[in-house]
Amino acid sequence: MNCEEATKLMDGYLDSELDPITSQKIEQHLRECPKCDQAYKIHGSLIRVIGNATPYYKVPAELREQIQSSLRDAVGAKDKGGSGQPGQLSVPRPQGERRPVLSQVPWNWLALAATIMLGALITAVFLPRMRPPNADQFLATQLIASHVRSLMANHLMDVPSSDQHTVKPWLDAKLDFAAPVADLSSQGFPLIGGRLDYLNNHSVAALVYQKRKHFINLFIWPTTPEDSTAQTMVEREGYHLVHWSDGDFTYWAVSDVNPSDLQNFKQLFEQQTARH
Amino acid sequence: MALPLKAAHASETEDFESSRNIVKFTVFKGSDQNHAQKAELASFEEALLPHLDAAHNLARWLLRNEQDAEDVVQEAYLRAFKSFGGFHGSNGRAWLLTIVRNTSYTLLKKNRAADLITTFDDEIHAPGHESVSPATILENSEDAELIREAMDELPAEFREILVLRHQEGLSYKEIADIAQIPPGTVMSRLARARGKLKEYLAARIGKEK
Repeated sequence: MNCEEATKLMDGYLDSELDPITSQKIEQHLRECPKCDQAYKIHGSLIRVIGNATPYYKVPAELREQIQSSLRDAVGAKDKGGSGQPGQLSVPRPQGERRPVLSQVPWNWLALAATIMLGALITAVFLPRMRPPNADQFLATQLIASHVRSLMANHLMDVPSSDQHTVKPWLDAKLDFAAPVADLSSQGFPLIGGRLDYLNNHSVAALVYQKRKHFINLFIWPTTPEDSTAQTMVEREGYHLVHWSDGDFTYWAVSDVNPSDLQNFKQLFEQQTARH
Repeated sequence: MALPLKAAHASETEDFESSRNIVKFTVFKGSDQNHAQKAELASFEEALLPHLDAAHNLARWLLRNEQDAEDVVQEAYLRAFKSFGGFHGSNGRAWLLTIVRNTSYTLLKKNRAADLITTFDDEIHAPGHESVSPATILENSEDAELIREAMDELPAEFREILVLRHQEGLSYKEIADIAQIPPGTVMSRLARARGKLKEYLAARIGKEK
């Protein structure tokens, strides 16, 4: 397979929609061609992050109720021999009667003006809903983006060291808090370095651990009142996020390792830091 | 007042007596129908109300306007209910989204034919944003408002395919069914849509700088 073919099939590969033989051919090409491999990684993370951050317009509660009630009305209309026109509501609404979407009624300026007013009103009311549904999800998106960025921009570590006594003082000097650092190499999660990062409007410590070929970014910052203290495990677009808190600090581990490894990592880290 | 009422009542009773069978028949038929329809409504609601968010999200992205989206969703649910008897599949979401999509396009065609034409905006495609690197795009890619603006600039067929894949996570096969395109076209259209979205994002980021 050449680069042109690989580029053409990249989206299908990314979406796991190719047949096994073609997938293998692409995999082989990506192993051999660093240029395509790089392009694939960048394209993939961009698509994931953009997909996650695209606003999802949930249905307003009022519309849900309205649809349920108009379905009941439709049942009622059928009872009466289906006298109602298709798509038209059989029971008049007390106020703000709906414009039948595909009605034969011609537009008139008054209706247009009213629609614009209503549209503006509804936009004003529902605009806040377009934001990502909640702060936690927004944080998760940020965490994944940060994790992906650290892997792709050659900026995984500011202080590459497997020695916790090197990483910790380096971080302490750069941050206004002393983040706990644990070495878990004997348990299969070697510490490979540390980094400064910026999340949720404050500087945070990022510890980088390795599990086989995968990296785990552990983000640590002092717990603020907005941080939830509940333990959570989130899966998004193939990444796993584990969150916990020990009172002083809030932890978020992000990785593409499997959930049980990540859970295991969390427990080991907790045990190690609890002793200090 | 009391006397005429009584008289009327008496005559009604007589009528009722004389045509008892017919009356009874009508009443029974009505209540059977009622039961059947209530059951149908219940199974319709169970199958399709869980996809209200998906329906609304797709309509909202296609029409780019809340009022139109709400009208379309309502219309689509009524249409779906009317043809529910013909639905025997297991994929209620894809079936509903097809109806939402078709209803949205009918409205788009009617009101804003211009929307359906793939526009090529000179301002957006002006040279100069090539310098915006993927890393810079990624840094800005959590900005929901920026993404919304860039998405809204895409032609409807691109908005639709991005929503179906990225937000609903549908397979190429399902997308082909909903968008009514050959399965072989899904990948290339998706690639073009993603490319354009990245381009528009880069252009917006470049302009802000």
